[in-house]
Amino acid sequence: MKRALRWLFERVEAGFAAVFGQRLNPIPQLGSLGWFLFWIVTVSGIYVYVFFDTGLTQAWESLERLSRDQWYLGGLMRSLHRYASDALVVVVFVHLLREFALDRMRGNRWFPWVTGVPLLWFMYACGITGYWMVWDQLAQYVAIATTEWLDAIGIFAEPIARNFLDSERLSGRFFTLIIYMHIALPLLMLLFMWVHIQRHAHARVNPPRGLALGTLAALVVLSYAWPAQSQAPADLDRVPFSLGIDWFYLTVYPLLDRMGGGSLWLVLAGGSLLLSLLPWLPPLRKPPPARVDLANCNGCSRCFADCPFGAITMVQRTDGLAFEQEAKVDADQCMSCGICVGACPTATPFRRAGALSAGIELPDRSVAGLRDELIAATAKLSGPARVLVIGCSHDAGSRALADDETAVVGLPCVGMLPPSFLDFALARHHVDGVMLSGCAAHDCYERLGDQWVEQRIANERDPNLRARVPRERVAVSWQNPAQPGRLRESLVQFRQHLRQLGPATAMGAASGATAATTGERPAAWRARLAEFGRPVRWSGQAAAYAVLVASVGFLATRPAYTYLAEDQALLKLSFSHAGQPLKPCRRYTPEELAKLPFSERKATSCERGRWPVYVELDLDGQPVYRGTHEPAGLWNDGPSAVYVRFEVPAGRHRVVARLRDNGADSGFTAFAERTIELAPGENFVVDYRAAEGGFVFGLPAQQGAGTEVP
Amino acid sequence: MTLLLWQDNFSVGIAEVDHEHRELIGLINALHAALGTERSGERVEAFLGEIYADISAHFALEERVMRERRYDALAEHKADHERLLDQLRDMMDAQADGAVLDDARFGGELAEWFTGHFRTHDARFHRSLAR
Repeated sequence: MKRALRWLFERVEAGFAAVFGQRLNPIPQLGSLGWFLFWIVTVSGIYVYVFFDTGLTQAWESLERLSRDQWYLGGLMRSLHRYASDALVVVVFVHLLREFALDRMRGNRWFPWVTGVPLLWFMYACGITGYWMVWDQLAQYVAIATTEWLDAIGIFAEPIARNFLDSERLSGRFFTLIIYMHIALPLLMLLFMWVHIQRHAHARVNPPRGLALGTLAALVVLSYAWPAQSQAPADLDRVPFSLGIDWFYLTVYPLLDRMGGGSLWLVLAGGSLLLSLLPWLPPLRKPPPARVDLANCNGCSRCFADCPFGAITMVQRTDGLAFEQEAKVDADQCMSCGICVGACPTATPFRRAGALSAGIELPDRSVAGLRDELIAATAKLSGPARVLVIGCSHDAGSRALADDETAVVGLPCVGMLPPSFLDFALARHHVDGVMLSGCAAHDCYERLGDQWVEQRIANERDPNLRARVPRERVAVSWQNPAQPGRLRESLVQFRQHLRQLGPATAMGAASGATAATTGERPAAWRARLAEFGRPVRWSGQAAAYAVLVASVGFLATRPAYTYLAEDQALLKLSFSHAGQPLKPCRRYTPEELAKLPFSERKATSCERGRWPVYVELDLDGQPVYRGTHEPAGLWNDGPSAVYVRFEVPAGRHRVVARLRDNGADSGFTAFAERTIELAPGENFVVDYRAAEGGFVFGLPAQQGAGTEVP
Repeated sequence: MTLLLWQDNFSVGIAEVDHEHRELIGLINALHAALGTERSGERVEAFLGEIYADISAHFALEERVMRERRYDALAEHKADHERLLDQLRDMMDAQADGAVLDDARFGGELAEWFTGHFRTHDARFHRSLAR
């Protein structure tokens, strides 16, 4: 499956590259796009919050006003808030799938992978609390379903769903809590996003400007074309039949109605656990980490500066030499990409005395071995334009390029190649040109390989390629693995170019001596590969943005979810009632009182603990509920709480409720029987309030529908 | 005859930099001595390669120290480093192409560069540290 996914992602990325160009390709930018969307959501959220009324009854109206009176800015911000959040879900999941497909969660990469799991939870919690705040019918549904779902965990003394039982018992406090959570959760999410990228040096948190602007523009167009709207205001006494659900954030709710809260918690917790364990599941493959050779390390810290995974630290010298520092590799964090070797100034093939050993080496791929392989592979070449291709393990098949004129040497990452090897290969006339073949540009598997290679060649980063090395003989070809043809084509073009230059023997010490040592140096040579014309590319980009925002806009409210059939009503049996004490309190006898320490004397002795409450509900003569509810509290002295709901056909029903709270084997302490008339979509609550004389059927307004039977 | 002699006024006042300066002087003297007996061939090439690597590493360290201390003349100093590395590379290429390194060129150029660099660039760095 992983291989199929990788195949797919490589082709999708190649497709995007064809229209966006590799620099603006969104596929390698999913992480930074996520950051960008997060900032859009943050800014628009702050704006909306300024005009948002946090009162339960005013919230809906304040948002309506914002959308209506200030459609050009307030409405835009509100729509951006919704759609950017939805786009974030898309980006995050594609990001997750892609890292999975490329197996980029092994070794040191477990850290961003595992810290990504709570980020998913945070993202959903933010989305859910956000929909809650609108306090429309969708919010009502979300509030009730979420609290019922939380109650399924069983940690609350009293079901929190009872906060949203009906309009009479609705509590604004819980609503206020949700608002605070909608502010606190994104802050926590931001903290985790920061933690998420901690182990990556130079983590990309900003997408390229063109891509950012394109995304923002597309979301703005969507926001004006299809502004985010509230649904009808919440009315807890009515159950909405059908709801426009945001399928990005609220997908779990329809599931909840089918599989029940407890099992859904298990599925989600199990899924998260499995996801977190993936980095350690087979197939495991861990090449040995880089090793520092202190005899060749003076603590210059170039490897430290170039490591993409923060695996190298500079520590105090341990071997007693006069140096202050030495490089130290954290074996757990090292991904064995070799980029540190490419940065080491002692990793130069010109060294001949004794065994060639760099200050930092990959045990599996020594610099000495690389040098020998280079010499051996190029010795067999013939012709006027001999090319050495340095490939990486994720490139577009450089291995297949070897022939009479082409030698291929493979590295874990081209960033592992010390620039002096290019100098060596050309100055010693081993070849007439060198081509570096790596992953698609800006999408190095080891994160920074292509970037460092380009900078070293352009004299923007140490160790730089010496000015004397003719850049027209050094080519780079960053190609998507799905497009070996493009790599082959760039080699063909490079060879033609070399033929025109003539053999490398013409250049030598004399020509190199005068080369400027500072200032601009040309970048590496690259092939001109066929690409689509500007109209095709621009319309392709427009189409890609259009597909994104159209699907975001559509799935944000459609298809509607049918929650309740149109001829049904909802009957809830819910109350909180304390059963009778296990033993009644009794007065202390004077003798007992005398024995008690003075400070503990009181009139009565009461033991803690109450009887459970047993309750029955019959509907039209059929038993629909029988339940024993234990008292809450560590000492079993709290109230017993009941919260059950039934879908019942609308119309006239005979309801019988019985309750026993004294621990007796039979008989009831409360009994009531009613005929009720349920309208379609009505929310009808059967409550029990001992202080008001027993069972209470519905709200005062609904009681007209029922008739008391003595 | 020793080509280069360490002098106390070469010191820049940073232990690790001075340590490497002494080592480099030792290496160059050894190469110079070897040249006296053997003017071409693998031994010389090996020596040159070793010196090239050591000097590269030394400059990397020195530039790190300067960067850490925000030395204002880093660019000029680095340019002088590059100049020496280029001279050295020229000698290596010439040697590899079969030219015989003559004492005057080798000794003269390298010694001149070193003493010149120590007296001007390194001394300036030393003064900037003292401030």
